[in-house]
Amino acid sequence: MSEYFSDDMLVCRCEEITAGEIKRAIAEGARDVTGVKRRVRAGMGLCQGRTCEKLVQQILCAELGLAPDSVGHSSARPPVRPLTFGELAEGVVE
Amino acid sequence: MLSRDIVIIGAGPAGLAASIEAGKAGADVLVADLNMKPGGQLFKQIHKFFGSSEHHSGTRGTDIGIRLLKEAENAGVEIWLRSAVIGIFPGNKVAIRKDLGDGKTELITLLAKKIIMATGASENVVRFKGWTSPGVMGAGAAQTMVNVNHVKPGKKIVMVGSGNVGLIVSYQLMQAGCEVVAVVEAAPGIGGYAVHAAKICRAGVPIYTKHTVVEAVTDEDGCVKEVVIAEVDGKFNPVAGTEKRLEADTVTIAAGLKPVVELPRLLNCDFSYHGLFGGWIPLHNKNMETSVAGIYVAGDSTGVEEANTALEEGRIAGIAAAESLGLIPADRADARKKEIWGRLESLRMGPFGEKRLKGKEAILKEYKERIGLPSVR
Amino acid sequence: MSLIQAGYLEYEELAEVQTLPDRERYAQGPVAVIECVQEIPCNPCEAACKSSAIRIGEPITNLPVLAADKCTGCGVCVAKCPGLAIFIVNKTYSDTTASVAFPFEYFPVPEEGDAVKAVNRKGNVVCDAVVRRVMNPKGFDHTPVVTVEIPKELADEVRGIQRGQKG
Repeated sequence: MSEYFSDDMLVCRCEEITAGEIKRAIAEGARDVTGVKRRVRAGMGLCQGRTCEKLVQQILCAELGLAPDSVGHSSARPPVRPLTFGELAEGVVE
Repeated sequence: MLSRDIVIIGAGPAGLAASIEAGKAGADVLVADLNMKPGGQLFKQIHKFFGSSEHHSGTRGTDIGIRLLKEAENAGVEIWLRSAVIGIFPGNKVAIRKDLGDGKTELITLLAKKIIMATGASENVVRFKGWTSPGVMGAGAAQTMVNVNHVKPGKKIVMVGSGNVGLIVSYQLMQAGCEVVAVVEAAPGIGGYAVHAAKICRAGVPIYTKHTVVEAVTDEDGCVKEVVIAEVDGKFNPVAGTEKRLEADTVTIAAGLKPVVELPRLLNCDFSYHGLFGGWIPLHNKNMETSVAGIYVAGDSTGVEEANTALEEGRIAGIAAAESLGLIPADRADARKKEIWGRLESLRMGPFGEKRLKGKEAILKEYKERIGLPSVR
Repeated sequence: MSLIQAGYLEYEELAEVQTLPDRERYAQGPVAVIECVQEIPCNPCEAACKSSAIRIGEPITNLPVLAADKCTGCGVCVAKCPGLAIFIVNKTYSDTTASVAFPFEYFPVPEEGDAVKAVNRKGNVVCDAVVRRVMNPKGFDHTPVVTVEIPKELADEVRGIQRGQKG
């Protein structure tokens, strides 16, 4: 990887996770987007990986020599858009 | 519990077109959209569209948006704006954070007989030193700023990416009075249509192919003041010693889009990876129905293309959903869908469209082989 | 330099891809020069021409073909082309000058009589020019068509004017 992609470069802005931290997570055994997320929280913030998913995938591909379709993707669970506890508490449950 | 015949998520070209077809057929349709205004990306498309007369070619995207909204209104479609679908739960229960005005919201769960997901796509980022600095943004964001909010994102702009989005937004930034310092493209050739590139060239903007941005240099306030670009090698890695420094205060990134697919993932729809269409997409059949019965997709969320193809896919989804509710007789629905598939084919021709035509055919084939018939889940 | 690297074709290269007016047609006055060089799904120019001088047919990815003998040089197609790729060239404007009409979607829109700098396909200034006509009717839908007078020998080269300057 080029000298321009230094390890201190931010990848996940929401959780402030750097490229170096993601590479370390991969060295420790992460093999897909979820594996990286569980180790260092990249993609766990407000945007739920909408921005950094692609960057994390690119680093996984480069580090492990894998194709883009074999490094996983962000998982989805509700709420898929941010919601306050107040909104949740007042919602009618049926 | 509230209920609707069809709930459509997303009021862009695909969602609106679906709502119009379903509404005209007599379905009780609700469209939910996150944004303040309906129309998706149409209202920032101030350029005249390509296509044939069926696609309102030569008409500006904004005017197509106005026309669609009118048609949706005439078809009796209900649209909830600033209203986010936060989840879809077993039994087709759609949870919506509905905007009530005055900053008030209400969480509403609604029973939908059929669901059409037309959630569009989101912009890809490119990482380089300083990519998180103020002044670095998506080309789509910059386009919204100039064409919808009438605010210039900056004075001197470097555009990253020479696909149609990069070229069109460069042009529109200049129309708004910004200076586009350069268009930078990592590939060996320009990605978008030559006519768009020619407009940029006539305006005197250099297009650097085989180049990438390596750094957005910031001033003491952290704002972009200079952009460093460099040539790339065959593996798209920057080559040391080839740097050029450009004076600029803004970097706009047009590095492609990826489908927004959280909802089909929640529903466990079957997916397939297609780099050509932006990555992972929910598989669909000729009715635009996913692997889950009664759940449809349309537009960029099932493969990034453009507004005209999104419109046509939306129409098919709307017709198919209404047909499955018994609102359109099968023979009439079949004839309409066939006609629209024909138009889609003509939009996917030529050197630019061919790959997408083959790609979409592969998706339909994969659906047939892997899924066959949609199942109730 | 190929199209895909440069982003445009020079007039000589264009002739290999497009049917351009011949010498005789140019000698008869204003005529459309269609600089549409890729098969993209688009055909509004065909319907725009009241003289039926532009033919695309089926499929709509066909390149437009100009029947130069039918073309009156009216300029309606110039405003209608979503790619802004059609120009009207008049090599008979005067003994020494030609005129070129092009779509111009920037502010400020120039006015008749303005002295401007004419640019080539690359955006380089090649000569001084005078604005002779600005057509901007409602039917053109915010795409003004500007005609400039330029030295005759630059008729195949000039395709626009420098932005943001007046008078």
